[in-house]
Amino acid sequence: MLFRRFMATAATTAKTHTSDIVIIGGGPAGLTLASAIKNSPILKNLKIKLVEGGNLIEPLEKFNESPPANFMNRVVSLTPATISYLKEIKAWDHFKEERTETYDNIYAYDGITNARIQFDCPEIATMCENFNIQSGLFQRIKELNKDNVENPLEILDKTKVIEIKSDEKNKWPVLQLSTGDSIKTRLLVGCDGYNSPARKFAGIESRGWAYNRWGIVATLKYKDDAFRFPTGWQRFLTSGPLAQLPLPDNWCSLVWSTTPELADILMKLPEEKFVAMVNAGAKLAPSEMEYLYKLAAKNDETLMEEISWRLNLFNSKLKEEEYENYPLEIESIVPNSRGRFPLKLSHADTYVEERVALVGDAAHTTHPLAGQGLNMGQGDVKSLVKVLETSTERGLDIGSKFALEGYFSERYPANHVLLGIVDKIHKIYSTDSSLLVMARSLGLDAINNTPFLKDFMVSQISNK
Amino acid sequence: MLAATYMKHASTRCWTKNLPLVTSVRTSRRTFILTALSTAATAAYSFVSPSISLANSLENGTYKPQHFQTTNERELQNLEAAKSNKPMFTRPEPNYPNHVPLYTFEKAMLFLGSSLGAFLHPERNEFIVALGESTAHPYFLNLLRDQMLSDPVGRQILKERPNITSTSLDLDHLSNLPPNTFGRTYVDWLHKEGVSPDTRVPVRFIDDDELAFIFQRYRQCHDFYHSITGLPIVREGEIAVKMFEFLNLKIPFAGLGAIFAPFNVKRRDERWRLFEVYYPWAWQCAIGCKPLINVYWEKIMEKDVNELRKELGVIVPPDMRQLRKVARMRRLKGLTN
Repeated sequence: MLFRRFMATAATTAKTHTSDIVIIGGGPAGLTLASAIKNSPILKNLKIKLVEGGNLIEPLEKFNESPPANFMNRVVSLTPATISYLKEIKAWDHFKEERTETYDNIYAYDGITNARIQFDCPEIATMCENFNIQSGLFQRIKELNKDNVENPLEILDKTKVIEIKSDEKNKWPVLQLSTGDSIKTRLLVGCDGYNSPARKFAGIESRGWAYNRWGIVATLKYKDDAFRFPTGWQRFLTSGPLAQLPLPDNWCSLVWSTTPELADILMKLPEEKFVAMVNAGAKLAPSEMEYLYKLAAKNDETLMEEISWRLNLFNSKLKEEEYENYPLEIESIVPNSRGRFPLKLSHADTYVEERVALVGDAAHTTHPLAGQGLNMGQGDVKSLVKVLETSTERGLDIGSKFALEGYFSERYPANHVLLGIVDKIHKIYSTDSSLLVMARSLGLDAINNTPFLKDFMVSQISNK
Repeated sequence: MLAATYMKHASTRCWTKNLPLVTSVRTSRRTFILTALSTAATAAYSFVSPSISLANSLENGTYKPQHFQTTNERELQNLEAAKSNKPMFTRPEPNYPNHVPLYTFEKAMLFLGSSLGAFLHPERNEFIVALGESTAHPYFLNLLRDQMLSDPVGRQILKERPNITSTSLDLDHLSNLPPNTFGRTYVDWLHKEGVSPDTRVPVRFIDDDELAFIFQRYRQCHDFYHSITGLPIVREGEIAVKMFEFLNLKIPFAGLGAIFAPFNVKRRDERWRLFEVYYPWAWQCAIGCKPLINVYWEKIMEKDVNELRKELGVIVPPDMRQLRKVARMRRLKGLTN
């Protein structure tokens, strides 16, 4: 009798749920997909579950109720196309707009010759914290769940996916979760980042290479000594681009892509010296930076003095009209806001397989120099939702490869082109061979002075 | 019939004679039409152009009706017009005292004039000075600057920007130093050659002030190079030092001097000494020697000179004055050179 009771409890704990779509990953891509599907009148009655391994709901609720005083260090640039889609799925209203910064100018200049290109277009992009995006989408999902009581979106956070198997009878993916439950689903969408288990389950190969660069992020505050329109600055040093992106209230977000050795040196520096290095990196010549890196490697005491001497000399030589060619100097850094992540290029061979679709970083990763990674993922979501709507209207099985292929054929070429362009820009600006440097500076100056080319580039960056 | 054959001949032989008349008439008619049309177009345009400029100014918002102005307004307008009649090309501001900003064509002319003058009359200081400054392109000076910035002593020199004059060096104190010190060697050399550190002309034509300081430093340290190698200030000695400087510092002016100056050396024994003794010395010395621009000369005055030479890797060449004296004596005695 005891034995039977034991078996009875064992039987109730491990349940196998069934659902139409399971989204693995609670990042911006996964949450946007979930809210877009639930927002769509055609798809909103599908049973959808979102599985996230980390703690998602608590921090997002906390962010919504009492956002942190300082800006977080993971910030992205949203293109107008992304924002219009977020407005379309009515999630934008839940974003904390006072923590976003819409800017009109992008200023990119060469690290060796100071050749520059300047884009000036109203609302060319908006800076937004990753957490702000996730929290806004989460609030929208909660709102949608209130209206959709029979089929709410279930978010299973703090739940890791242990294994994904194929069901023997109908080949549907079965996810084994860390809670002991398992979910059988018609369609599995992998929004689970570069090391996507969904992609591995589908047997899709992802090709690319590591850039051997690390992106250092930090939140910094500008000095209040002159006026600048909110501008995205990017200086192409040979070790990698140093980007300062505007946040509200004279704050800025730093993304400094640099070699592993320099990344180690910079991360170990005390915060004051790190700020001085950022100021030096935005203005000084490469030969001077070499010496400063050597000093920084030893954490030399004279580093601050040297930097202030060279910067004062540099600033004293600038003419009036050249002041605006450089960003304001940084005054301070939010304590402990330095972080880093490795940079790589990857593109999956295909985005869709029988019962599996890949969205966002699971499908493609890119260099942050153009700020397009997350926006490509948002474009993926828009396309996938459209394809799912079309398939549902036609009565197709949304998990079949036949139904999903429209998404792959629409997004793959566009993403591939953008990945290729960003990769080539990175390669062109990684050399210091004088022939290439001259050629690229000439080219950049030529483009800067050709209005129609610039307009074309702006339209490609922002309105895709 | 004769007339007919003549006409035939005329037509076959002199057919070209008839044509010009016809074509010149045609071309002259064409040119006439073209000129008439262009005159008509110009006339029409000049008739319409005031309206066009008026329309433009109305669109820009810069339209100022002329006849409703008071005298005051008219005067103000004239003043503004005078201000806006600024010349197209203004000379840029000087970046440091003594700076004379030159346009590129002026620098080119300076180079041409001074190169010719320095070749023919190297004893005249102004040619040498001008040649040095007109050939000191920022590219080479930037290389030198980067070299200085990556060396700690060079960096210190750039920070402190020391200026060498007879007072800053305190020549009296130096002449009282023991004879094996560098300071004493320097002062002895100054006395022997009869020169003073004050004769260095300030840099005028280099635009960036840090690069101008570097060139000034090079000019002022020239005497130190003489004294540490012991070469005299005769033309032969200067050429040898120039070769050494070119190989060590890569300043183009020194290279020009080292390559072209020997062409003007007429005496055969002098030329032999240059090519067989001093140029090989310069090559060997410059290869093994540290970049001399990074030496803070003022601070090592009390160092032992041979120790200094070993530290820097400077080899002392054969005494030029001695060799010249020997050669002169041989010439006087009628021996072959």
